[in-house]
Amino acid sequence: MISTDPWIWLSALLTICSYSLLYGDNPLFRIGVYTYAGTVIGHSVVTGYFTLKSRFLPLFTGQKPILIIPLILGIMSLFVAWRKYAWVASFPIAVMIGVGTGISMRALMMTDIIGNVKAVISEAALIFTPPLTDQIGYLIKVIFTPIAVFYLLFTVFVRSPASKPAEYLRTIGKYIFLIYFGLSVGSAIMQLSGLAVSSLYRLIKLWLGL
Amino acid sequence: MAMRIPELKSQYIWAILLAIFTVAIIHPIEIPIPMSKATLDVYNMIENLPEGSIVAVGGAYVFAFDLESSASMIACLKQMARNHLRVVFVPLSVEAVQMHKYCIDMARVDEKYGGPWKYGRDYVQLPYMPGMDAALVAFLTDVHSAVATDVYGTPLDELPLMRDLHSYKDISLWICIHWAFPMIVRYVTSERGIPSVYFAQAAAYASYAPYMAMYPGKVFMTLGFLGGAQYEKLVGIKGLGYAAMNAYSFLVIAFVIFVILGNITMLTRLGEEEE
Amino acid sequence: MSAVVYIRLYLTRILILIGMLSVLISWYFVSPEADVIANELQIWNMNIATFTLFVGLLSVYSRYIRSIMNREKYWQYHLYAAILIVVWIIFGLKVGLYSDIYQKAYLCTKITLHIAILGQLVFFMISACYRLFRMRTLRTAIFACCTLLIAICNAPIVSATFPAADKIVFWFLNYPASAGSRALLITGGVGGVVLGIRILLGLEKGALRATEV
Repeated sequence: MISTDPWIWLSALLTICSYSLLYGDNPLFRIGVYTYAGTVIGHSVVTGYFTLKSRFLPLFTGQKPILIIPLILGIMSLFVAWRKYAWVASFPIAVMIGVGTGISMRALMMTDIIGNVKAVISEAALIFTPPLTDQIGYLIKVIFTPIAVFYLLFTVFVRSPASKPAEYLRTIGKYIFLIYFGLSVGSAIMQLSGLAVSSLYRLIKLWLGL
Repeated sequence: MAMRIPELKSQYIWAILLAIFTVAIIHPIEIPIPMSKATLDVYNMIENLPEGSIVAVGGAYVFAFDLESSASMIACLKQMARNHLRVVFVPLSVEAVQMHKYCIDMARVDEKYGGPWKYGRDYVQLPYMPGMDAALVAFLTDVHSAVATDVYGTPLDELPLMRDLHSYKDISLWICIHWAFPMIVRYVTSERGIPSVYFAQAAAYASYAPYMAMYPGKVFMTLGFLGGAQYEKLVGIKGLGYAAMNAYSFLVIAFVIFVILGNITMLTRLGEEEE
Repeated sequence: MSAVVYIRLYLTRILILIGMLSVLISWYFVSPEADVIANELQIWNMNIATFTLFVGLLSVYSRYIRSIMNREKYWQYHLYAAILIVVWIIFGLKVGLYSDIYQKAYLCTKITLHIAILGQLVFFMISACYRLFRMRTLRTAIFACCTLLIAICNAPIVSATFPAADKIVFWFLNYPASAGSRALLITGGVGGVVLGIRILLGLEKGALRATEV
């Protein structure tokens, strides 16, 4: 039994607009694209309004008058859309860059670099701990990780006496990433098929009632 | 002369796939969902949390990608409601508010759906907090100065749950259902020692599996829709995860057949090229 | 370089320095003053970032209005989107972000479209795999076999029939795949730290390029 809910009809028609790309570029698909663009921008603005209300409540209630400074800086940041006066936005952006970079630098150092190196070293010890499948796994990890890092850091290698061994390492590194990307693509198929099921379910079950 | 197999046009492949999805949706078959250790670990960890523990659910990314995690999240919310845990939703991206609302509505745990949870006492939705890493750090340092109200505009002091949450020290577990999980590991688990769970999107699992090795016993991940179907089984429901895996079981057969067909096509043309 | 530009340049560098150093000092040293400055700057960062949600509106509208006035290609669609944005904003402000009706509208429009666009990718992916996974070389064979292995072993029908399939999936994801992703994390981390140091030293402008005249 076909649905009578207007929202289901709207989502079904928009799904058809989107899937019409499989047929080729067409006006229906364009309607879908610009509906997407419009709702994204609209949602950002609505979210922005309510977020502003929430974030500057202490200023409006007089609890924290110093928030006038980020309010002014925030308004200055809007000038980035105006080419002639885009320089006005450089000050608030500088504050954001400073704070964001400082925070992420310390985290990257501690987690991504030192954390991973520590993990590789501890896994080197685990090579001798059964079961066999884990032992082989840790051995692969401990050998593959430095080679893959070498491949990424020395993508362009200057000619020198070490060129030939470096070339072999980079070839192995290439294959390590082929394995990684192959496994990722295999997983992505499951992810994307689930999303396709979700959208087609809306069309077939909810709209057409089949 | 060897038989020459013609190249399949993409449109025919798409039509076959569309037919497979349609059949799978209209006539789903009963498929067994075997359990993985990864999902079981997450489930047991949440089961063992003391009653009244505060669990933070949050992160940043887009709704469409996070839909895959919603399968596990919805089942997990039912489990947490059953175990009288308390949840604070911490949206760090523009769409995260909508994602969290979607999960809570679909889980039917609110009292308006007959569930045990009451807004303000058992769960709270915070408003969008812009600034990504800086927002997360500010939230973990001092919740009440990082955010003044909930998503409805109610001051936090008026919400019973938020009177018990002041900083990261009051959080027992962080659940991430968004792609930007590294941010959570870095600032929540690595810097502050709070265990974190990621209902990973399938493609993200391979990318973030090293975090589990870095922090064993502190970082847990499930695998995409498969993890979602497994979690749903543990909680006793059949949702998006189950439906997705149902269709996927058919799709993978078609996928393998197409790859084999492609290779056979290549082999039949090899002789031609040599000639 | 004029005095104004000189001041602009160095003022931004000073602001970056203050932001970065306060955060780093408050983390690595015991300094209540740095803690206060860092915490306050983080709040300010959040408040300033709120305004970035409106930048999209300004840039999209400037482009669309120009396109509509000059009757450029697809101007009709730009007009449609421009009207939709206004309607959506009024609707959202009236009903509220967390209301059921707004959620329904959002799910039935933007989310439906986004999921449909992403869902289509599986069609493109499988037709691409049909053409690409022709195992002529070792590289293609490895790539194709890894993809096929994970895709097949993830299927519940397979893992229910062969319980080892589930263990195979997680073994491959936790060990060989993990090596590659770990290398990416390490080198990405190194790159991030180097970028941070370059920003600290004023060698890198980053997002400030958008504000250059």
